[in-house]
Amino acid sequence: MSVAAPTARPFETTTVQRAIPWLVLAVGIIGLQIAFGWVDGFPAAWDLTFETPIDDAGAWMRANRRSHWLFTGLFSPLSGIIDGAIDAVGGFLAWLPWYVLIALVFLIPARVRQFRAGAVAAFALVYCGLIGLWEESLETLALMSVAVFIAVLVGVPLGVWGAMNHRVEAMIRPVLDAMQTIPAFVYFLPLFMLFGIGNVPAAVATIIYALPPVVRLTTLGVKRVSPQAVEASRMFGSTTRQTLLKVQLPMARPTILTGLSQTIMMALGIVVLATLVGASGLGSPVLQSLNQRRTGRGIAAGLAIVAVAMVLDRIWRSLAQSERTARIDRRVLGWTAIGLAGATAIGVALGWVDFPSVWTPSLFDPMDQAVTWARDNLSFLTRPFSDFVVASIYIPARDFLTDTAAWPVLVFVVAWVGWMLKGWRLAVFAVAGVLTIGLIGMWELSIDTLVQVIIASVLAVAVAVPLGVWAGRRPRVEAFFGPILDALQTVPSLVYIIPAVILFTVGIVPGIIATVLYAIVPGIRITALGVRQVPTETVEASRTFGATPRQTMFGVRLPLAAPTIMAGINQVIMMVLAMVIITGLVGAGALGFETVRSLQRSLFGLGFEVGLALVVIAMILDRFTEAAAERLQPPGGH
Amino acid sequence: MGSHPASDNGQIIDPVITVDGMWQVFGVKPEPAIEMARRGAGRATVLQETGCTIAVRDVHFQVRRGETFVVMGLSGSGKSTLIRGTARLADITLGRVLLDGEDLTAMDAETLRRVRREKMSMVFQHFGLFPHRRVIDNVAYGLEVQGVDKKERHRRALEVIETVGLAGWGQHYPQQLSGGMQQRVGLARALAVDPEVLFFDEPFSALDPLIRRDMQDELIRLQRDLQRTIVFITHDFAEAIKLGDRIAIMKDGVFDQVGTAAELISNPATDYVREFTNDIPKVKVLTARDVMEVTTTGSGWREVRETDTVESFVPFLLDDIRPLTVVDDTGRPIGLVDRAAVSRLLGSDR
Ligand SMILES: Nc1ncnc2c1ncn2[C@@H]1O[C@H](COP(=O)(O)OP(=O)(O)OP(=O)(O)O)[C@@H](O)[C@H]1O
Ligand SMILES: [Mg+2]
Repeated sequence: MSVAAPTARPFETTTVQRAIPWLVLAVGIIGLQIAFGWVDGFPAAWDLTFETPIDDAGAWMRANRRSHWLFTGLFSPLSGIIDGAIDAVGGFLAWLPWYVLIALVFLIPARVRQFRAGAVAAFALVYCGLIGLWEESLETLALMSVAVFIAVLVGVPLGVWGAMNHRVEAMIRPVLDAMQTIPAFVYFLPLFMLFGIGNVPAAVATIIYALPPVVRLTTLGVKRVSPQAVEASRMFGSTTRQTLLKVQLPMARPTILTGLSQTIMMALGIVVLATLVGASGLGSPVLQSLNQRRTGRGIAAGLAIVAVAMVLDRIWRSLAQSERTARIDRRVLGWTAIGLAGATAIGVALGWVDFPSVWTPSLFDPMDQAVTWARDNLSFLTRPFSDFVVASIYIPARDFLTDTAAWPVLVFVVAWVGWMLKGWRLAVFAVAGVLTIGLIGMWELSIDTLVQVIIASVLAVAVAVPLGVWAGRRPRVEAFFGPILDALQTVPSLVYIIPAVILFTVGIVPGIIATVLYAIVPGIRITALGVRQVPTETVEASRTFGATPRQTMFGVRLPLAAPTIMAGINQVIMMVLAMVIITGLVGAGALGFETVRSLQRSLFGLGFEVGLALVVIAMILDRFTEAAAERLQPPGGH
Repeated sequence: MGSHPASDNGQIIDPVITVDGMWQVFGVKPEPAIEMARRGAGRATVLQETGCTIAVRDVHFQVRRGETFVVMGLSGSGKSTLIRGTARLADITLGRVLLDGEDLTAMDAETLRRVRREKMSMVFQHFGLFPHRRVIDNVAYGLEVQGVDKKERHRRALEVIETVGLAGWGQHYPQQLSGGMQQRVGLARALAVDPEVLFFDEPFSALDPLIRRDMQDELIRLQRDLQRTIVFITHDFAEAIKLGDRIAIMKDGVFDQVGTAAELISNPATDYVREFTNDIPKVKVLTARDVMEVTTTGSGWREVRETDTVESFVPFLLDDIRPLTVVDDTGRPIGLVDRAAVSRLLGSDR
């Protein structure tokens, strides 16, 4: 190499190279805008009128529900089994005198000496009775028990199979990923078509939605069993089955139980929405209080849903408990059983079945007054904020994207982003997705939803990342946030949209507020995790060079935590998408409203198109943020 | 422990285990790697050229019934791979393993399972206990998978638990026990099925030195009564000498030398072997037989047994200038030792 080689040359080359993509972007946008500026929206002539065949299929299904073999031979019996199971469980729970049920809920965990769990579960159930939602709670309990039971029945074997066989795992994994990316309410409509109205589509949606954690964590748990224990078992000549049943599954039990808890939490998230497809239970009081703008009752009913989830979680856990802990003496158990049977007989004979109504949700009414007071006295704050978001951000952005920018420009920009993030494959995938949305006639609605999703995501990230960084640096702050975040995540999202609706009236703003509250949780958690995981040594190294705290933060901590934070942002966006239907319920329009409408009016074709558009949006945003997270990863590191 | 294996021409009479030309190569294309290695290429070269790790390289050995065969080597020398291949926990790339004349490497899963149930057991470095089972059910596990009924298997398990000195701990869970006790459970679990062959993969490496010594003594005591065939892996040369009837020194996947402790010490085959033996005081390992001059006629002023260590009779030699008579276990004189022999030995120690 010649020594005199000019050093400026390579530098210039990289600058030019770096500028090229941006140049392409600018030229593409301007060129396409000039060429297509006169086009008004996505050409309607290209609409595939995808809804017609679906509507026909829906009509056909309705007409043939009683005659065609597909229903008589498959869906109806399946539906019958699930419905029968829910009815049987619900009937039994309702038949038991209330005090016997509460005693049982305590005794099932107490039987394996989990007295605290038993007390928590019993107290949760007492709460449901005290606020006058006893019957609804039992209905929800029955629906969720059956759904969770089936999810476990399907999920655990599937997870085990995945752990035993790479190829099966490689096949299951993308399906699970997709299942978790797709907002749960998208499943409602097809299930509604297949199973009709009622508890069954709700149960099946819950099963589908809640399945991934069981499968994933079963696979993880079985794979994580110490290889030496497995080898020891093989060395004694165990069959594969013996090793599985005697060693791997028992050792994986804690992990599987974690999956189960997650499943129950996810099932809980669906309870309210399930009302939209006709499920009974606690969902309808929540929806009612939304319609009547009664925060207090909404919160009371929402907490009852949390209570039911707690009962379910504690009971399941204790049932899955091994004989590890010393059990209670057999004789004590025997006498307790006899006592319970006697109490049941007396209760049934005397008709003491329902929880005595001593308390009603009206006790929560002071909350309504508080919210009303806040509405009347804080309007000087809420009104300008609301106006600003709507008039200065939402409407201009939406109009710009739908009217001003020509549609090919948008397609081009999406392709460019995909290409920059990961390469042409992602670009092709994204373009195919965007074009699909156009071809099914969901262009404008999707842009509307996308703008709302972006506003909510940006706000959520703007709140979550600084809070997360703060929490990650100070354990005390994190300890303080912990319970608040738990509450935000466990209380069904519809519950805190009620005060938001009262404060901001209907429209996009209450939806955005509730969405932000719901979605900041994983953002804060994961950001805090990322910041905390930065190795202390690296930070100290930076300090020894005399870096200021600010320099350390922006030069070391944040760059190192960036991939994790990006993963948190991905989660935030997924949560925001899951809220789209709920915003639709409070007048934010767009795809969310269309989903609700299609469910309420049985507009199958429309529902399918809306669902497809949402799935496409979710998948593109998911892949984009994932690719961004990968790019932030330092080269070679994982 | 026992006496020497009878071997003329290197073949062992009545071998329980025969490992014949074992190769274990990790990587996608092992054949060219083996070819290269056969032509003399070293481990590093093969790895660089083919991307394959040669973990075990053409190893042959036989283990006699009742013998303790120790494989000693440093980390990464391929010991675990060797023992796992021998027990067929992993399929080997090339070679054969015979157990009682049956070819383990060619067995179908069902037969292999039967052979394992009847003949083998293993003790693991990190114990490999089942944390969700009580000690007694850990120990009874082998019997349980064989289908022995609960009462019988618990009875046998309790016996073995007592043998390894854990009486009264049967109802505890493994995590409630100390490391040394946990490995006793591992040992009991292996012994409960009354196996013909016991495999030990560094069973005591995770234990404190004092507990390790206890466990070694315990194993020696048990082996005196049980007389099992043992393949024992260790990275500790002192442990190898203490336990092994014969010792194989393994390096980079090959056996540098196989022999009794005395053979290794008095006649190390390579510099690598010498490095280990240098640290071992010979007077503690070599016995009268190793240093004696063979003669049936001479008579010393005092008798010593052929298995006595040099250390134990040095005081007698210092007491008196005359030699000592070496006798076998029947009391028959088989040789003489004198000061000259011992001073030769001590001289070479330096
Ligand atoms: N499954 C595997 N895949 C690839 N390489 C392996 C595998 N198992 C072992 N090796 C390699 O084979 C060589 C021998 O490993 P082995 O575990 O047998 O050594 P060892 O003597 O038991 O060491 P240690 O004392 O650390 O247990 C090592 O270089 C190791 O990296
Ligand atoms: Mg090893």
